[in-house]
Amino acid sequence: MMIMYGLSGCSSVQPWEKQNLAKPEMTFEGDRLDTGYTEHIYSSKEASSGGAGVGGGGCGCN
Amino acid sequence: MEYVPIKSSNRKSRVVGALFASAAMLLPSAKNAMADAAPEQGIVSMKYLNYHDSQKGDTDLTAGMSKDRMTVNALSFMGMVPIAGKWSVAATFIEDSVTGASPAYHGSGFPANTSSGASGDLRHAGDLNVTRYFSRGTLTLGTSYSQESDYKSLGCSLNGTLSTESKNTTFSLGAAYNNDTIDLSRPNVVDSKKSDTPGKKRVVSGLFGVTQVMSQNDIMQMTVTLTDGDGYYSDPYKNPDVRPGKRRMFTFMSRWNHHFDGPNGTARLSYRYYTDTFGIKAHTFDAEYVQLLPKGWEITPSLRYYSQGAADFYVPVGDAEFADPTHFTPPPAGAKHYSEDQRLSAFGAFSYGIKVSKDLGRSWLADVKYEHCEQRYNWGINGKGDPGIPTFNMSAIQVGLSRKF
Repeated sequence: MMIMYGLSGCSSVQPWEKQNLAKPEMTFEGDRLDTGYTEHIYSSKEASSGGAGVGGGGCGCN
Repeated sequence: MEYVPIKSSNRKSRVVGALFASAAMLLPSAKNAMADAAPEQGIVSMKYLNYHDSQKGDTDLTAGMSKDRMTVNALSFMGMVPIAGKWSVAATFIEDSVTGASPAYHGSGFPANTSSGASGDLRHAGDLNVTRYFSRGTLTLGTSYSQESDYKSLGCSLNGTLSTESKNTTFSLGAAYNNDTIDLSRPNVVDSKKSDTPGKKRVVSGLFGVTQVMSQNDIMQMTVTLTDGDGYYSDPYKNPDVRPGKRRMFTFMSRWNHHFDGPNGTARLSYRYYTDTFGIKAHTFDAEYVQLLPKGWEITPSLRYYSQGAADFYVPVGDAEFADPTHFTPPPAGAKHYSEDQRLSAFGAFSYGIKVSKDLGRSWLADVKYEHCEQRYNWGINGKGDPGIPTFNMSAIQVGLSRKF
C-alpha cells in the first residue's frame, strides 16, 4: 500500500490521454454475473475466498 | 456494473472540437475505469450456468474412487438503472439447483441418495445496491440475501471510493456484515450434529484498496481485506468434522491491467494471498487476455493457478482407511477440532478457460464461457498434500445475454 501511495506521485496521465484506460476491458469489475458465478464456484471448492470486494450473501456450500 | 459500455462520442463534443471531444469522451470513461462516474446507460442481463464436478481415482492409493459428484444449473439476472445522473440502482437475482452428492470424508462416504453437501437442492439469492456518485467519489449501500433448504444468509455492506483531483488515484473503503442461519434438523445431517436449535454465524469484513493509473495503458489495484467470523463453521453433513467457532481471515489482492495498442488487446493479471486462523495459506494467480476482433467479436482466454496448505486440524487418510475406505480415519485422540473435508487439505489446481462474446447490434451482447479446473494433492506449493485424496475435476459453461438501454 505504501508503494502504491508513493507511486501515485509518479503518474501524470492527463484526462485526454486516458482513452485506453476508459475501455471496458480495462476495468477491474468486469461482467458481474460471470464474476459472481466464478467466485462462487471456487470459494465452494477451495478453503480461501474473497479479496476483490466485500458484501454479498453467504451459502451453505463452503 | 462495469459492464456498462462507454459511449464513443456525443454530438455536443463533435461541435466543440477534437480536443474537447476527446476529453468529453474520456472523462466519463476514465471515471468509469475508476468506478467514479455515474453510468450513462442502464443494463439488463441474464446468464445461465451449467456446472459439473467429479473425482478420479487415478493413482494406486485412490483406485476405485472415480465418481461423478455434483451438478448445478443456475439462472441469474442483473439489472442496473442510472437515476438523475447522480445515482444508480443495481440488483441481481439467482436461482440454482443442485443434484448429486459430495463425500462425507476425504473421497469416500457418499450418501445413498441425493445431495449430502451443506447446500440444499434449490437456492435463491439476490442483492440490491444503491450508489450515489459525487464529483470525486462514490458511496454504495448494499443488502443481500441467500436462502436454500438448510441455510439462510442476510447481509449488508457499505462501500466508498474517493479519487484525487487528477483521478489517477482512487482509494476504496468497504465494510460488510453477514448473519447466517444453518438448519441442523435436516434428515441428512450427521446424527451427532442433529439439533432443533439452528447453528448461527456472524461475519464482519473490512476492505481498504488503492487503484492507481500507472500510464496511459496501465492501471493497478491493491486491496487488503480483513474478515472476522464467529459461529457455526462445521459441516453438518460431514463426519468426522468439528471446526473452530471462530475464523479470522486476511486477504491481499493485487491486479494489473495492461493495454496493448498494436493488437488492441488487454492483459489482466492478478495475484491473491490468503491466510486464516484455521491455518490455511493460499496463493492464487490469474491471467487473462482480452482480444477485440472485427465485427464486434471478443475472445478472452484465461489461466489460473491455485495452491493452498492444509488446515491445522485436517486429518489425512490413514492406513486403515486406505485398506477399507468405508470407514473414516479416527481423529487424533483428544483433538478438539478435526476435519476430513478435502477442501481443507493441501492441494494445487490449474484452470483454463475461454470466453467469446459478440456485439449483436442494437445494444445487445451475447457471450459464452467455458472453464475447466483440476485439483491434485501434489500440485501445491504450500506443503505436503494428502495422497489419499482423489483428483478433483470441475467444469462450467456460462451462456449470457445482455442489453443496454
